[in-house]
Amino acid sequence: MRMKHPTHSEDGWAVLVGLILFALTMTLLGGIDSLGWVVVVREWTALEHALAPVSPAYASLAPVVSLVGTFFLMVGLFSLAAWLMGREVRSFVPAFAVLVAVSYACLVAGHHAWIAATPDKRAAHGLSWSMGLTGEAGYIFALAAGLVVGNCLPRWAAWLKPAARPEWFVKTAIVILGAALGVKAAGATRLASAVLFRGFAAIVEAYLIYWALVYLLARTVFKFSREWAAPLASGISICGVSAAITTGAAIRARPVVPIMVSSLVVIFAVVELLVLPWLAQACLYHEPLVAGAWMGLAVKTDGAAVASGAITDALIRSRAQADLGLTYEEGWIVGTATTVKMFIDVFIGIWAVILSLIWVYRIDPRPGATLPLGEIGRRFPKFVVGYFLTFLVVLTLCLTEQGWLAPLTLAAREADVFRTLLFTLTFLAIGLEADFRRLWAEGVGRLAVAYVVSLFGFIIWIGLAISWIFFQGVQPPTVGG
Amino acid sequence: MTGMDEQGHPETEEAMAGELKHMVSEPLLPVEKALIAVSLLLGLGLLGLLLWVSRTFFPAP
Repeated sequence: MRMKHPTHSEDGWAVLVGLILFALTMTLLGGIDSLGWVVVVREWTALEHALAPVSPAYASLAPVVSLVGTFFLMVGLFSLAAWLMGREVRSFVPAFAVLVAVSYACLVAGHHAWIAATPDKRAAHGLSWSMGLTGEAGYIFALAAGLVVGNCLPRWAAWLKPAARPEWFVKTAIVILGAALGVKAAGATRLASAVLFRGFAAIVEAYLIYWALVYLLARTVFKFSREWAAPLASGISICGVSAAITTGAAIRARPVVPIMVSSLVVIFAVVELLVLPWLAQACLYHEPLVAGAWMGLAVKTDGAAVASGAITDALIRSRAQADLGLTYEEGWIVGTATTVKMFIDVFIGIWAVILSLIWVYRIDPRPGATLPLGEIGRRFPKFVVGYFLTFLVVLTLCLTEQGWLAPLTLAAREADVFRTLLFTLTFLAIGLEADFRRLWAEGVGRLAVAYVVSLFGFIIWIGLAISWIFFQGVQPPTVGG
Repeated sequence: MTGMDEQGHPETEEAMAGELKHMVSEPLLPVEKALIAVSLLLGLGLLGLLLWVSRTFFPAP
């Protein structure tokens, strides 16, 4: 099997699709509610109450019309982007349509009041008991569905694969998330600036300590060559797939090296996604932003890290409400995880330049060889720019004109419909991609052992310590508090 | 398909699996030791500085 060199063209399209959806919600500033008709999933005990248009202005619209319209908008927009990207549209469109449909099924199931309702909402649903997982339980259903299909139904998984693009989905969601966090930050600028700086500080610390330790372990204990050890150190220690690939380019490794590392990253990211949010709920419900930063520092790949942040957000808010009587404002935990991850993505570029300097001039000098700065620049994650752009635009608008806060809050709620669906698609696609049979493939065992020892031996715990050092005592706002 | 590129290096997963199994140990070069040491020392050194800046200029509200 000849490996193809990975392409990052989805990154730019994530920004474009995210900005299109963001721009459509911004028409509210001109008094035009162009996306108020899109469907939002609500907690329910009777199925007919599960769906509704997101804006009160469209309250009279039948929920099924809203659902069908949203479905076709998403399928149309992503199919157009896939076509412009040069993808095989005939295989993409039906597979993506199925993924969207399954995602909505998971979201609706996850919003059943028995599963989703937090203690304060049980009375409204006429319940004496509920699991209190919030509607984000839909993400867990999506991940489970993806894992079952990906590992037990290989023919279905192969059919869905052209449209299962977790990094594209989550990067688009992150661009949209920037707008929602901008609205939140406007009401808590000191907290937002504390999260931004402390997130930056945490990743500087994590990167410098993680990378050196994993590289040392890979080279001395596991006896990997430099070509393998550098992408492995970046893949395990920081941001998974993109870090492994960027490092591979920086040290001029053969393309197949970071690809093999990346296949492990995806598998173990799922393991982390299934374990760490519950651990955070059990131990960190009184320190929500420590938990958010921990997800950003410990869970590899953008998709799994932000997805873990979303689950942790739901689990901790539920636990804090039940045990502490505190209702934390939604979104700060996932926002902290996302912010930390964004800085990591920026730092990858800086680290890649440092590594390429060392490799070109000291470790592997070749006649006429130059720094692969163009390649590193091409791999710089554009969605980071999209995230900060939507964040800063919305924050500036909110702080400039007090009267815009209400329409921008509604705009953020409308954008959140797409963010929620894209997160669900991300969970589903992560499950589909995580082929656990890879662990038994010949030759992968040594890589996998190095990965497990590093990840569970110290990466996760150093990440927790750094998160605690920088975020302990930083509390998100409480609702009605 | 041989699984080798023009320079005779393996570039398929199957060929790479064999390479991983029979990888020859490369000793750490001084520059690698320096990279590891500087990275760790910088990490530990910056910890205090970044913590002080966080608490002084970006305190928890």
